[in-house]
Order: sequence, then C-alpha cells, then structure tokens
Amino acid sequence: MLWALFLAHVAAVPAAAAAGRTSMRAGLFTAAAAPAAAAAWAAAELAGGGRTNTAELVWVGGLDVAIRLRADSLALMMTLLVAGVGALVMVYAAGYFGRNAAGATRFPATMLAFSTSMLGLVWADSVWTLFIFWEMTSVTSFLLVGHKHADASVRMAARRALVITAGGGLVLLAGLIVLAESAGSSALTAMEPVSGPAAATAGVLILIGAATKSAQVPFHVWLPGAMAAPTPVSAYLHSAAMVKAGILLIAVVGPALRGVAAWKWLGIAFGVASVVWGAVGALRHRDAKLILAWGTVSQLGLMVTLLSVGTAKAVLAALALLFSHALFKAALFLVVGEVDVRTGTRDIGDLGGLHRSMPTAFAVALLAGGSMVGLPPLLGFVAKETAIEAVLALAGAERAVVAAGVIGGSVLTVAYTVRLLHGVFGPGPPTPVGANRPLMAAPAAILGAAGVVGYAALSGVNRIVVPAAAELSEKADAYSLIQWPGLKTAFVVSVLIVGVGGVAGALWASRGVGRLPAPVGASAADGIVDKTLGFSPRLTALVQHGSLPVYLAVMGTVAVLAAAALASDFAGGHLIWWDHPLQAMLAAAVVIAALAAAFVGSRLGAALALGSVGFGVTGLFLVHGAPDLALTQLLVETVVVVGFVLGLGHLARRFPPVTGSWRSVRIMVAAAGGLAVTAALAAAGTNPTGKPPTLDLVAEAVAEGGGKNVVNVILTDLRALDTLGEVVVLATVAIGILALARVRTRPQAQTQES
Amino acid sequence: MSAALLFAVGGLTSVGIYLITARSLSQIILGFSLLGHATVLGLLVAGGAAGDAPIAGTAAVADMSNPLPQALALTAIVISFGLTLFLLALAVRQQHLTGDDQVEDDLEDQRIAQGQPAENLPEETTEEITQSIEGGIP
Repeated sequence: MLWALFLAHVAAVPAAAAAGRTSMRAGLFTAAAAPAAAAAWAAAELAGGGRTNTAELVWVGGLDVAIRLRADSLALMMTLLVAGVGALVMVYAAGYFGRNAAGATRFPATMLAFSTSMLGLVWADSVWTLFIFWEMTSVTSFLLVGHKHADASVRMAARRALVITAGGGLVLLAGLIVLAESAGSSALTAMEPVSGPAAATAGVLILIGAATKSAQVPFHVWLPGAMAAPTPVSAYLHSAAMVKAGILLIAVVGPALRGVAAWKWLGIAFGVASVVWGAVGALRHRDAKLILAWGTVSQLGLMVTLLSVGTAKAVLAALALLFSHALFKAALFLVVGEVDVRTGTRDIGDLGGLHRSMPTAFAVALLAGGSMVGLPPLLGFVAKETAIEAVLALAGAERAVVAAGVIGGSVLTVAYTVRLLHGVFGPGPPTPVGANRPLMAAPAAILGAAGVVGYAALSGVNRIVVPAAAELSEKADAYSLIQWPGLKTAFVVSVLIVGVGGVAGALWASRGVGRLPAPVGASAADGIVDKTLGFSPRLTALVQHGSLPVYLAVMGTVAVLAAAALASDFAGGHLIWWDHPLQAMLAAAVVIAALAAAFVGSRLGAALALGSVGFGVTGLFLVHGAPDLALTQLLVETVVVVGFVLGLGHLARRFPPVTGSWRSVRIMVAAAGGLAVTAALAAAGTNPTGKPPTLDLVAEAVAEGGGKNVVNVILTDLRALDTLGEVVVLATVAIGILALARVRTRPQAQTQES
Repeated sequence: MSAALLFAVGGLTSVGIYLITARSLSQIILGFSLLGHATVLGLLVAGGAAGDAPIAGTAAVADMSNPLPQALALTAIVISFGLTLFLLALAVRQQHLTGDDQVEDDLEDQRIAQGQPAENLPEETTEEITQSIEGGIP
C-alpha cells in the first residue's frame, strides 16, 4: 500500500503539470487528489487500530543500500497531517491564485513534488532514505519559496532558505553517518541506545541539522524571509510540513540518544531560545504573515524543548502540540492569505474592523487563535495543559530552565495572538474588502473547526497521538490527553498565562503598531549567505579552470596519495629480480623506447618509438607465457604504427617545443605517479592470498568449454558477452573514424569546385 | 613477483603520465598508449609468475602461467587499440580544423574563472567560434 500511494504521488506530478496547462485551478485539483487519498488511507488505518505497514526496495543488500519505508503510528499521524493539510492547502491555492495566474504548470507540480518528498520523509525507516527525502524537501521548498522569481528579494529569500537548510542537511548527513556507525544499524525504528563521544557528536550534528530545518534560533533567519512565498506555500511549509521535518527527526532519533547529555541540553538550549526569541519577534512585526512566521519559530521551539526533555509525558505533550499546531497555524495562515487577497494588505497597522466584513474568517481566526493561546474548548488547550504538566513534573535546574522558557514563551504567545487578532479584526475603520472567495474560506474553516472537533472527540485524538508517543517512549501509554484537568497547579498556571498574556497583549496592541522593527541578526545571516554564494564562483574558478593537463595532473597526484597508503603492505619475500634474464633486457628496452617516444622532437620518431615499445611488450608477453597476448599485441601494434604514420602525414612534423616550469611539474607528477603505481603493485603482488586457479581453469576449459587454449575458452565462453561488447566497441570506433575521416575530404573538394 | 616487470610498469606509467599532461593531442595519444601497455603488464604481474603457455596438453599444469589475467588483458589490449585509433582520427580532424592539434583550455571555464557571467559572451569569441565551425563543416 505504501508503494501504491507513493507511486501515485510520483505519477501525479507530471499529471499536475499537464493539467496546469489548461489552468492553475485544474492543476491544483489534480495535485490535491494524491495527498487526499494518502490522508484518507492514514485516517482509515488509524481508525482500524494503526497497523504498521512496511515496504522496502533493496538495491545493494550487502552495502545496506535500500529504500525502506515504514508507516507506524507516528508516521500515520504525520501522514494525516502532511497529506491532509496538503490537500486542503492545494484546494485553497486554487482560490488564492487567479484563474489565469502565471506559473500554472510549475506551481501545482512543485507543490505535489514537495508533498511527495515530505511523505517519503515521514515514512523513511533508514537514515539514508530519510536523508534523501530530507534533501528533496529542501530543493522543492526552495522552488516554492522562489515561486515569484521575477522579484530579486524573493530570489534572495529563497537562496537564503536553501543555503541554510541545505547546509544543515550536510551537517545532518555527517550526524546520521556517525549515528548509524555507532548504533550498528541504519534502521531508524528500534535503534539501539548509543552512548559515548561518538553518540554525543552524532547528537549535536543531528540537532543542528534539525534546527536549520525547523527554524530554531539562530538558524531561524530563513523562515521570515520565506514568507516571500505565496501564502498557500507558507501555510503548508511552515505549519504542517517542512518545519515539522526537524521535529519529526528529533522525535524519531530521540529514543536512541536519550541518554546523551549533549543531545538533551543542546536541544533544550535551541528550544528555549526559540520559544522566547520567536515570540518576541512576533510581537515586534506588523506584517500578519511575519507575525505568524515568528510565532512558528516559537511554537517549534516548544516542541523541540519538550522532545529534548524526553520524559514520556513531555513526548506526549510535544506530539499533541505538533498535532494541534499543524491545524491552527495552517488555519491562521489561510485566513491571513484570504485577508491579503481580499483587502490587498497584510499590515496590521492598515487593517482593522474586519470582524464585520469578514465574519467567517473572523470566526476561524478566533478558533485557531484560541487554540494557539490554549483556550478551552479547543485542542490547543489540551496540548498546552499536558505540556505544562510535563514541565512541572521535572526537577532541579532542568525544571527551572524549561519552565521559565515554556511559561514565559506561552505568555508572549498569548500577547502576540491578541495583538494580531486585534490588529486585523479589531475595532477601527473597516478596511474595504473584495468579493467572497469560497475556495479560500472553506479549507480555512475546516482546519479551524478541527480544533473544536478534536476537543469534543478527544478520545479519537488520543487514539492517534498516544500510540504515536508510545512509539517514542514506552511509558507514554500510561498517559492520555484530558479534556478538563480540574483545579490543579498546571491549570492555575494556564489561567495565569492567559490572564497576564492577554493584558500584556491588549496593552501592547493599544500602543499602536509602531515602526518596522530593525532586523536583528538577519544582516549577519545574509552576510554569511552572500559570502557563501560569492565563494562558490571563486571555488569553481579554482577547480574548474578548463585546462585539461592540469586536471590530469591533479588526478594523478590524488592517485599517488591513495597509492602511498598501500605501500606499507609491501612484503619483500615474494620479490625476485626476473622470471628470465630476457625479461630484464626487454623491460629495460621498453622503458628506454618509451622515454624516446616522450623526448624525441619529431612526430615520426615518436611513432616509431611507440612501435618499439609495443614490440618490446610483445616480447615480454612471450617470456611470461602468454602467446595469445603476444599475437594480439603484434597485430595491434602493427596497425597502430601504420595508423600513426598515415595520420602524421596531416600533422606538423615536429611537436611544439615545451618549456617552462609546467614541464618540471609534469615531470614530478609523472615520476611520483610511476613510483606510486609501482609501490601499489608491489604491495599487492607480494601479498598473494592464494594460488592462481590454473588447475581448475584448465580442467574446466577442456571439460566444459571443449578447448585446449584456456585463454580463448575464457574469452569466448565464460566472458562471451564481454567479448561481444568488445566487438561492438571496435565497430563503433570504426564508424567514428570513418565519419571523422570522410568530413576531412569535403572542403578540399569544394575549393576545387569553386 | 618479477622486479623487472615492476620496473617496466612503473617506467611506462611515468612516461605515460608525462605525455598525457601535454598540450599536443598526438602526444596525449602516445601517453595513453603507454599507459595501456603499463596496465596490461600490471595485470599480468599481479596474476602470478611467468610460466608455460596455458594450453592444455602442451605442458604440465603446475608450470603454466595464470590464464585469467591474460584473458582480461586481451580485452584491455583491444579496447585501448580502438581508443588509440579513434583519438588519432580526432587529432587529424582537429589539425584540419584549427591548423594544429593543441588541446586548448575550455573557453567557458576560463570565462567563469574571470568572473564573467556566461551570457555575456565577448563578440569576437562568438565570431571566432562561428567562423571555425563554418570553415570546418560545409
């Protein structure tokens, strides 16, 4: 089933592009079908008890090169979110874009390609599979963020996102390699807990990779810039999908690294910093979409913190937050996009009074915003209650740091939510609005209502979230999400958070929106991105300078270094001076003839020297006991010398003179290369691992091949297909030479005619 | 393992590398040919000591040389023969087009190295290329 769904997605990508030729709407509806099917399947599986589906495609078994997919409870929950929100957002995009929007062949297909990569990432069960899909999401999201590529600032934002997330991807790859090596397996599920310095290294590298993707401070700088994307992209990438990839990764490798202190504390540091700084950013900005983006940084920080804490209850709370955040943040983005399209602005300083003119959007925003703040009867309330309970159950310094971050961040969350809703929908002269857009309103309403429905049918949500948490922490089974906790400490804290945050938000909002905030850190990040992009052409110019001889010299030098490592295996015991005195004489003659070919000035002389080398080698074959080789070499060498002499008639008599320092470099590289090959060959040849299989080969040649000449039998019998390929090569060469030689004669004929 | 053969392999490799880093295509072909010889001899010397020809019935099996590398080497000889002749035809063709058989640096790469974007082709170069193509292919 996994393959069927995955291949349906892959096949739908070109289909969406083709449908996009008629209109953007047709393309998007085509693209929405596959994610809708995946979401429906995930919902059915979850309703049926959440059986684990697996699928694998092994390419090289011995090297563990395979695509392994596995949909367990956690993956099913993620599938429901990624594919479900994806399908809704694609429908929404059909309303967002005009009927004849530009890029209609590009956008739906890219959106679906992103959705496909995300699904693969969610299902991946080997670190390698995960990494491939991880990189695919980076590339496709780059294309989506840069959709309006005619605008230079959009291109810059897309490049910044790509450089940061792809750079993080490289760090992640290093981390995954170290993790897979120290755990002794590349399977993500059921990975053995690891410890020691290798595990700490892996943990830190993986966390950095995840932090770039999930926009954790200080790698968050790409996320606000990515708001240059069309709003459907922001709603999808920055609520349900891409930014959740890092969270999912931290969750999935968490069980293996739970004992590693560096993993835990770096995660808490990322998380707490992001919770606070993201919320502060959301309070400073006046573009509604940017407020939501900064809010996402903060919310993701909360999830990272809880997952890093790693207790069963914290893991459950993190997943509950992940679930509710995907719903309410997508809904809020969709509402802001609708406001943007219908009023022409997203600036909360210019907006106001929309509660009258856009009542549906206002209702959705209230539901989603309430869920973000953590008000009952909404799913966000349940998630936040569980999170606060999990934090209060900790002890010592951990409790102090995490509680300060989580509670402080929550207060700020309430404040920026109040400010946002007040700014867009609150009192003031109503902003004029355009026509209704039902295709935009409906998906937002579904996602907004999901928060209430989820609260009312909490047992259903429990059936999704609790088994998913149990995949990560066995004891999570003991807990469940509760509709009404009663008057416990956590509830009191919750009430205080909403009270303090609400008042603070109202005060902050009544103060007016203020000027645009000065960017903090963004310029430094842009500097790094600029330097990276500026370094790239210089590096390219350095390594790709276009000189063939220099390329070859570099390759030769690298080969020398590789061979030098082998030289230490040399064992003198098997070395003899020669098999036969004649061999020594021929070898000396061959090398002298080769030197002559290199240093004689005339082309004819060089060709004759090359012929001498060939005939010398023929002699060496005979001495070695290889008459077939000698015979072939004799024929080949004769033809080559004839070819050279014929060809040289068209070339200048003498080689161009070579001088200068480049010649000395060539001589040095050549000498080192020869020595390295000799050393490597000597090391290999003096360490025989067994006897040559001559006895078997001779017996089988006679018995099975029916021939006495063993070399011939091998070529025509054992390696018949190779020999056929060889014949094809020769025929191709003959055709090529014929073509090259024929063209030569024509211009002369032309000049004669004219 | 015969030191004489090792010496031949090393010497041929050295001279071969020296020649393939040359600018003249015909020297590169010479170098390529020498590297081919070195490879074939390398295969033989790695496969065991010299002996009698591996033809059943003509000698005791214990005295025979190893036939397996010989079968591999035979293929190598033939392929490098084909490649040598093809490169030779290319050299002759280039001589005809440009008047010499020099391997020049890649123009596009040089442009990148000088920091010029690819779309800003200098007009002269474009003309030169067009001329050389028109002169060569009727």
